[in-house]
Amino acid sequence: MAEPLIVIRRVSRRYQRGADDVHALEDVSLDIDGGRFVALMGPSGSGKSTLLNLLSGIDQPSTGEVVVAGMRLADLDEDALAAWRARHVGLIFQFFNLMPVLSARDNVALPLLLTHLDRSERTRRAETALRVVGLSHRLDHFPRTLSGGEQQRVAIARAIVTDPDLIVADEPTGDLDARNAEEVLALLRQLTDQFGKTIVMVTHDPRALRFVDAAYHLDKGILLEGEAAHRADEAIRRAAGQPERRP
Amino acid sequence: MSWTRLVLANLGRNPLRTVLTAAAVALAVALVSLLLTMPAGLDLILDRFASNTRISVHNKAGVVYPMPYAFTRKVRQVDGVVAAAAFTWFGGAYEEAGRVTFPNFAVEAEHVNAVYPDYAIDPGQMAAFLRYRDGAIVGRGTLKKYGWSLGDRITLKSTVWPVDLDLRIVGEVANDTAPMLWLRYDYLDEALKKQGWTGLGIAGVVWARVSDPKLVNAVMRTVDDLSRNSEAETASETEKSFFGNFFGSLDGLVRIILVITSLVALCIVFIAGNTTSMSVRERAGEIAVLRALGFPRRTIVQALVAEALLVVTGAGILGVLLAVGLTGTLRTVAGWNQTLGPLGNFMVTPGVVVQGLLLSVAMGLTAGIAPALGAVRRPVAEALREVF
Repeated sequence: MAEPLIVIRRVSRRYQRGADDVHALEDVSLDIDGGRFVALMGPSGSGKSTLLNLLSGIDQPSTGEVVVAGMRLADLDEDALAAWRARHVGLIFQFFNLMPVLSARDNVALPLLLTHLDRSERTRRAETALRVVGLSHRLDHFPRTLSGGEQQRVAIARAIVTDPDLIVADEPTGDLDARNAEEVLALLRQLTDQFGKTIVMVTHDPRALRFVDAAYHLDKGILLEGEAAHRADEAIRRAAGQPERRP
Repeated sequence: MSWTRLVLANLGRNPLRTVLTAAAVALAVALVSLLLTMPAGLDLILDRFASNTRISVHNKAGVVYPMPYAFTRKVRQVDGVVAAAAFTWFGGAYEEAGRVTFPNFAVEAEHVNAVYPDYAIDPGQMAAFLRYRDGAIVGRGTLKKYGWSLGDRITLKSTVWPVDLDLRIVGEVANDTAPMLWLRYDYLDEALKKQGWTGLGIAGVVWARVSDPKLVNAVMRTVDDLSRNSEAETASETEKSFFGNFFGSLDGLVRIILVITSLVALCIVFIAGNTTSMSVRERAGEIAVLRALGFPRRTIVQALVAEALLVVTGAGILGVLLAVGLTGTLRTVAGWNQTLGPLGNFMVTPGVVVQGLLLSVAMGLTAGIAPALGAVRRPVAEALREVF
């Protein structure tokens, strides 16, 4: 049996916020296989974004270990982690976070500046990524001239342009209307189905359940398992008007 | 997409701010470059206007202390001295009560022309100076300034001696480099005797011309040896050194101006640094995202410093060019207008260009590094948490 792409073992994350000692994650263990589209769900402050940061190498756990594609992230210092992220992780944010002074093409080509590709190859790959997300007609448009859905698709193109092992998305539909949210979720699904990408997405959006292979639920820093996880899943499906899944 | 495009795109975010910062830096660098031309410019003025064969002999205690008039004859007898003339400050004020508006000296009419052959005074005018005891030779600039002409009569009220002298302008120094008027030594001597004085009997400075520049040092030593252990020991110096001492006080002024200008440059560094800091703060979210995407801290610092360097160094180049243009214009204008003559000697040399550019680079680095390091100081997760 193949090793999961992501292995999270007894991970806790605590940090100081002012005078408070925040326990963002407590003893979380989770395996995620490659080529899957999974969602991390839960209420605000449940620790899902913290978990996303840990498995994408943006943050390090206080205890426990995170292994992604065979790499034990705790072994890397901040600069090595940055280099690892540049090569292996694509990031999608809720508010798109594109550079306003760059065109769609240049925004997508941005991560390629860290590679040894020449300029024409960087441009070619950026245009290919934009074609994949259906924006080949918006290459020279700046973010302010694009709709929210289009901006998020540019961000998705930026996340896939380096052909990473893992794509992490933090509330990618959080700032979109219903139609654009559906389109973005469908696009992410397509990336898994057509290109075999592993996608881990943090979301509140109950529509996401129709697109993902699995959903993991967190509450107060704890990963829900068994009956608790099932109940959380069903509650979200009911809220979204979706049929209940058989256990 | 390239690093250059990224840096230029970031500079274009707030064009007005970029332009204003660049303008402030350009003006500061231009100012510093102009001031850096002053020491060399003053030296050039001295080189141009001071003869290399003329020496001044004055009291060792200072030029305000007189020497016996008879010492002039001793100077004339020194081997290598072609001519020597006593100069005594008359301190005459024209019209404006009590204020001397141009230097005027009582000089030995029969010797002064031989000491100043480079003044090229018309022989007819020189003959008139010798003929008329009340004659005066005036620099052309001074003539122009007061609207005087040859043949005019003027009265100077001395602020030093108890006499007013009526003078007849008989000649001019056409190639004068500074305001000047010479009157005759014997005329002042006679006027003082009429007032009951025993006569002038003193010389403020003896100017002497030496036959060969190589003999200048030996002549100065001999002259000073002649006065050793007398009541008025002398200190001889070249004409360049003599005027250099006057400019010496200007040197101090230049130094003060350079210090002030350096402080202005430092202020500009702070302003540029603040601008960079504001720009970095406004882009905190973008910088956090870049770091999340995998951009190393070093790369982000380099890009931010490159932005500051590009603006400040670019502005510095403009500043240096501005200084070159200004001094070039001054030189051209000075060619047309004699009164601006000395200003044409201030030139932005290659050395000044290099100093101006180095200053710009230093300003750019200083203004860029601190904000850039601040931008990547915190862990990326913390930075993301703070901005989102």
